[in-house]
Amino acid sequence: MAAAKASLLVAVLLVWQLAPLPGYILSPAEIIKHFAQALGTAELYENIGASLARSVPGFVLGSFLGAALGLAAGVARWFDRMLSPAVFLTYPVPKIVMLPIFMIWFGIGDLSKVLIIALACFYPVFINAYYGVRQTRSILVWSALNMGATPAQIFRRVVLPSAAPMILASLRVSLALSFIVMFAAEMINARSGLGHMIRVAENSLRFDLMYVSLLAIAILGYAGDRLVRLAHSRLLAWQQPTAA
Amino acid sequence: MVWEWAARSGLWSPLLFPSLVKIFTELGLFFTRGASWMEAWVSLQRALGGFALAAVVGISLGMLMGRSKFVAGLLDPLFSGTYAVPKLALFPIFIFVFGIGSLSKVALVFLECLYPIVIMTYAGAREVNRAFLWSAQNMGASRAAILRRVVIPATAPFIFAGFRVAVPVAMIVVVITEMVASADGLGYLVIYALSSLRTDRMLAVVAVIAVLGYLLDKAVVLARDRLIYWEKLDTYYV
Repeated sequence: MAAAKASLLVAVLLVWQLAPLPGYILSPAEIIKHFAQALGTAELYENIGASLARSVPGFVLGSFLGAALGLAAGVARWFDRMLSPAVFLTYPVPKIVMLPIFMIWFGIGDLSKVLIIALACFYPVFINAYYGVRQTRSILVWSALNMGATPAQIFRRVVLPSAAPMILASLRVSLALSFIVMFAAEMINARSGLGHMIRVAENSLRFDLMYVSLLAIAILGYAGDRLVRLAHSRLLAWQQPTAA
Repeated sequence: MVWEWAARSGLWSPLLFPSLVKIFTELGLFFTRGASWMEAWVSLQRALGGFALAAVVGISLGMLMGRSKFVAGLLDPLFSGTYAVPKLALFPIFIFVFGIGSLSKVALVFLECLYPIVIMTYAGAREVNRAFLWSAQNMGASRAAILRRVVIPATAPFIFAGFRVAVPVAMIVVVITEMVASADGLGYLVIYALSSLRTDRMLAVVAVIAVLGYLLDKAVVLARDRLIYWEKLDTYYV
């Protein structure tokens, strides 16, 4: 099996490397060469920093609000009635269309981008936190009540652990979303960041820079995903890992 | 109400908060013009075209992965490894490969929709109840009959869960790509209205996109409830 996998990978790379390609598709060796060169320049790090400065606060803000409000809506019925209909109604709406509106309200700087990322990250975390709480087995809550636990204790010791797996699963989704939205926002309107870098490269036909930016965003996305999965397995050591 | 008050209070420029009346007037204008229907149709075609391709390819790949250990071993690392990578970054390259027209957008929609559909179909096809497979074999069902009568019905709820993730993604990708590089479609209209500082018109188009996204999602849920009548949809997994 491992041999089959490795040989497939090698075959694909070989075909890619040796096939006669048009100028806009670089071979793997060239991409690696350009990426190694770019690693030596400050430009790449500046753009990565600018991108992360938008996506990380947006991800943290959106996920935190989503988890907090989702938990609250799952626990308190009046809050559920007030908030959930609006959230479920707007859930299928593509959030990126709000970017132009946010740009007008909050300026074209980083604030509008952070907020649009937060908005996109909010939905999956809210919905999973909500259903995580709703799926708490009532028998556990009843037993805790029976043993004289206070509502605060029940929330911390029963509801939260039972909702945690779903919240952490949704963090994976919202992290992927945060990168997509960050990249989209930077492509549409920005003066720095990886999305901006790829636009500039495209306009000036610098294919090497395009692939450098592409590889950088791929590595960031992959590393972030690994980090969330690591946190998942650390925090929820008692739970069997489930398929994504 | 709050919106209308904010718009009329004069505290903010009408550029920030155009009054609802103006937005609805623009919305009326949008629907009475044939050209705007064309733009909406272009966007919808791109979204649905990419989605349909992804559905066909995704279900076949997912089924293959679920029923064959070998295929799963080959493709599963590929899909889970590149899952978190924003495929949107490929768009500039797609423009060069497929041209700036519809094809590059449909290709990107296809790629982004493929992931949720493959992952969900794979999860579903892997977890078909063994007892059902064995009894079908025991009763002498052919492989094709087993696939049609046992595996597909058992996987269908998962496939539709994948569809529900993929449909909003298709809309998002179409709107983004039209905002970035296009001369038609709803995303282009938004950017065009923004550049000409017609906030009221922009908000009207945003409302159209929002309603379109909502209706597409409803259509998937409706189709699901019709086709999978034996299992009620109660949890809305993301």
